[in-house]
Amino acid sequence: MKAAIWAGVDEVTVEDVPEPQLLNDHDVLLRIHKTVTCGSDLHLIGGYIPAMRSGDVLGHEFLGTVVEKGRAVQRVQVGDRVVVPSFVACGSCWYCSQELYSLCDNGNPDPGITEGLWGQSPGGCFGYSHAMGGYAGSHAEYMRVPYADVGCFVVPDGVSDTRALFASDSVTTGWTGAHLGGTQPGDVVAVWGAGAVGQMAARAAMLLGAEQVVVIDRLPERLAQVRTHIGAEAVDFSTTDVVAELRERTGGRGPDVCIEAVGMEAHSTGVQGAFDQVKQQLRLQTDRPSAVREAIRACRKGGSVFVLGVYAGMVDKFPLGALMNKGLTVRGAQQHGQRYVPEILAHMESGALTTEHLATHTMPLSQAAEGYRIFKAKEDGCVRTVFEPGS
Amino acid sequence: MDRLLRQAAGLGGAALGKLQHTRIPGVGQASTTEPADVAARRWRAVTVFRDDLAGPFPELEALGPDLEVRMQPAAGGRGTELYGRFHGTPDADRIGELRAALRRTKQLAEVGEVLRVDPATHGTRRPTPQGAALEGAAARAPREGVL
Repeated sequence: MKAAIWAGVDEVTVEDVPEPQLLNDHDVLLRIHKTVTCGSDLHLIGGYIPAMRSGDVLGHEFLGTVVEKGRAVQRVQVGDRVVVPSFVACGSCWYCSQELYSLCDNGNPDPGITEGLWGQSPGGCFGYSHAMGGYAGSHAEYMRVPYADVGCFVVPDGVSDTRALFASDSVTTGWTGAHLGGTQPGDVVAVWGAGAVGQMAARAAMLLGAEQVVVIDRLPERLAQVRTHIGAEAVDFSTTDVVAELRERTGGRGPDVCIEAVGMEAHSTGVQGAFDQVKQQLRLQTDRPSAVREAIRACRKGGSVFVLGVYAGMVDKFPLGALMNKGLTVRGAQQHGQRYVPEILAHMESGALTTEHLATHTMPLSQAAEGYRIFKAKEDGCVRTVFEPGS
Repeated sequence: MDRLLRQAAGLGGAALGKLQHTRIPGVGQASTTEPADVAARRWRAVTVFRDDLAGPFPELEALGPDLEVRMQPAAGGRGTELYGRFHGTPDADRIGELRAALRRTKQLAEVGEVLRVDPATHGTRRPTPQGAALEGAAARAPREGVL
């Protein structure tokens, strides 16, 4: 079968690879209909997360049909059209019982790597390096999904493939940030980053009752999507003092909840941007945290900052004094998708949550390299490139 | 080249072990205050989310009669804490075997099977020292970590 693989730093190719097989009784095999690029893939492709092996199959946001199932799988049937969160969770450990699925104790077969880095191991993730389990990703014609009864969700007939596709990661990640960030009815929520995850965090905050939602980015086409498709306010950080703007829009208080949906390759202006770029290139810090710094600065006293963007290691000049003295709650997480997908699919079915506008580019899997190039360059207004392995 | 790659794989595994056992605050898991032999004699434990956990535990029994095993209820309804410790002062490899066995025992009790990832579908693996080192580290990963 064909698959898009990581061949080296900044190198994506499409190759013939062996088809996957059932390895555990709780597995299913999917035929992939749609699979999509993610901003966090760029950290892998660019070599920022040094646990990729050449030949690894990329992709962690996908939708497909069950074509084969293990003998212990009960809830999912062959022929079901399913969407699957990107994190692998067993559904049986204490973390899963608390609906903290991306922290599953039994989802990462290689826990020694991340325990060495972070002190504990989160769950595994499809197509996301050997630090996160070494699972083959979704940019392929077929894919293995472990713990299928926990991770596979049947898509309602009234929801299109393209809409449901983003319930796999973008919406679930955004929902995780808005919900665990503590969004309450009446809150003001600010979101850094107007990519798919940031837009979906904003929409989730609105559906959770936020009264005012502001999204911050620098790309005009993404800010336009925020206004048109999400119904939130948009601020261009390249021409606006974000902290002053948020203060002015909130009666001097600052947002109640600040969600950072940018990650380790954040762009920023001026001295701060140059400082972070130089330190990262010299390997004196692994991640560029400018959006997190700004979120902490902007947040109201006693408010909540949620780190939703992907970070891998160490950052410098972290405003710990502001965090402590302003009494902030800072929380972060990968997505706990298995908790939120049923609610998300219900919103998608009702029309309250739409995602089709995120799929700005659709192409066959054979064009994966070009799809990632356009996505990385944000060329032609690209928000996400969707691959169709069957076309 | 093959020899170089084999060496790199070995170094990758060793590097992961080194990361775990470097005695620098904030790096790896090795104690910066205890002598290595004291740390080696500590109990290694997993918490199994089962209140009714009971042996036998074949994965642990396979490690031989030098292994002492005990259990106790976990605080807050989190299940059962399962501990293992070798008599004497085990070396790093022996402790690694115990970590892996505890993890497998936990999975068998909680899920009913041990999760596999290999053989994972993949494309061309370029024969590079970095790649071989990563494979070595991944192969060793189940035996390393915080336990």
